[in-house]
Amino acid sequence: MNAVIVRLTVRALLLQRRSLALAALAAAPLLMSFVFAIAARAGANHRLFYSTLVQELFLPTVAALVALVVGVSALGDEREDGTVLYLVATPVPRLVLVGSTIAAAWITAMVLLVPSLLLSAVLALGSRLTAGDLLWPLLGTALACLAYCSASAWLSLRVRRPIVVGVLYILLWEGSIATFAASASKLSIAAYGRALVAQALPQSNPPVAGPVASVVVLCIVVAGACWLGARLLSRVELP
Amino acid sequence: MSEHVIEFEGVSHWYGDTVAVADLSFTVGPGVTGLLGHNGAGKSTALKLCGGFVTPRSGSVRVFGVDPRHDPAVYRRIGIVPDHSPPWPFLSAVDVVAMCATLRGVADPRAAAEQALDDVGLSDVAGRTVGGFSHGMRQRVKLAQALVHQPDLLLLDEPLNGLDPAQRRQVVDRLRGLGEQGKTVIVSSHVLQEVDRTAARVLVLVNGHLVADGETLEIRTLISDRPRSVRLAATDGGRSLARELVAAAVVDAIRFEDGELVVETADIERFSRLLPAVAQSTATRLERVEPVGDDLESVYAYLHERARARAR
Repeated sequence: MNAVIVRLTVRALLLQRRSLALAALAAAPLLMSFVFAIAARAGANHRLFYSTLVQELFLPTVAALVALVVGVSALGDEREDGTVLYLVATPVPRLVLVGSTIAAAWITAMVLLVPSLLLSAVLALGSRLTAGDLLWPLLGTALACLAYCSASAWLSLRVRRPIVVGVLYILLWEGSIATFAASASKLSIAAYGRALVAQALPQSNPPVAGPVASVVVLCIVVAGACWLGARLLSRVELP
Repeated sequence: MSEHVIEFEGVSHWYGDTVAVADLSFTVGPGVTGLLGHNGAGKSTALKLCGGFVTPRSGSVRVFGVDPRHDPAVYRRIGIVPDHSPPWPFLSAVDVVAMCATLRGVADPRAAAEQALDDVGLSDVAGRTVGGFSHGMRQRVKLAQALVHQPDLLLLDEPLNGLDPAQRRQVVDRLRGLGEQGKTVIVSSHVLQEVDRTAARVLVLVNGHLVADGETLEIRTLISDRPRSVRLAATDGGRSLARELVAAAVVDAIRFEDGELVVETADIERFSRLLPAVAQSTATRLERVEPVGDDLESVYAYLHERARARAR
């Protein structure tokens, strides 16, 4: 990891105008929790609401889209505006360069998402909140985001319209096909993130894998995307 | 160490149906080398190939004996000024240059950055963000980041774009100085005078083909069979001289322009030998003998047309 590249990329990502739109998107679950907190009837199932919020909205849609956009922007924008040349024309190994930009994208995504997740938990669960209610969703979100950011960064080097491909994957594959076909969910990043969240919160469907296997699979996605991204960066034409 | 800092061997690259560079083979050693060609001639692609930013479809490119795409350590010795890539607009000039210095392993990046910015005349605005800079100032920031780690090889794509005449002179002097110090500098340009002033050696690219390689003089010699024009100012108007030159079959055409004689000849050497004798025999006193269209621009235009004719 190269701290200089990480700092630079985080700064570049946070200074983009689209970060405001992403922050608004990330705040959507927070708004829903706020409405629930003030409008919930007595006897409402707070735990079920929070579980559904995290597993059906926050992780597979909000976090996935935020991570997709920042992951694509981290390398894709630098490639598009040509600033990537100043990074590539250095002795920094390509794997470190790609790894650093992915780390920067992940940090940016977490800056946008974590406050929303934590505050949503506080608002939805109130005094019922336990450490596990925070930690497992946080771990699931963090690892799923890292996998999304890595895959997105690789996509930004691989295809011409990475956002379109990413959105199709998130909405069509993960949001539709993988919900019907159990085997398809094995190729869903969100499903492994949900499997971690399920350690603390109830899940309607059985998790795709246990917690250890989920962590391993997500780590494999990250490592594979980093390696493929570094290979591509040595081969693709730069502006 | 090999004298060849850059080695191109049968390098071709194309985009769809468009050939960017075709079967390029050349070597570049220390000194300033100009890469000359019209827009779309393949200059930028050739520089990208040198910088390892493009994978050649065929052939090989080696810089300091290695392929930069597979050996990033070589970038410690390379400085690059890309044509269309302004540095990060939200960083100050000194931050851009210091960051590049840090990534290239410079011991004291801040001091090196300040020195590099001073060298390109930007020390007064070093703390200002690049986003507010003019095109010329951004060009100089790009130059500063390329120089900050004191590289042995500089790849400069149209480095004088956007600079005013005084800045151009300053940068040209700096590049020539680097060449004299034994650094290898490649400067691409479509402006012939820039290359002429900067580089001792010129590579001329036309439609992706290397059509000439050598010193400006060598290139002219290479194409000495092209028709040349010479303007002669004679005291008596030159009519008798013109008559004798036609009789000697040394000129292809003669015309009078503003009271002066303009002759066209395919054999400039024979013409040069015969002219004094013919002038003496006709008792013509020559006040001025001046080649017309003998600058690098004309040479380049001729090479361009010749290559296109061959391609057809």
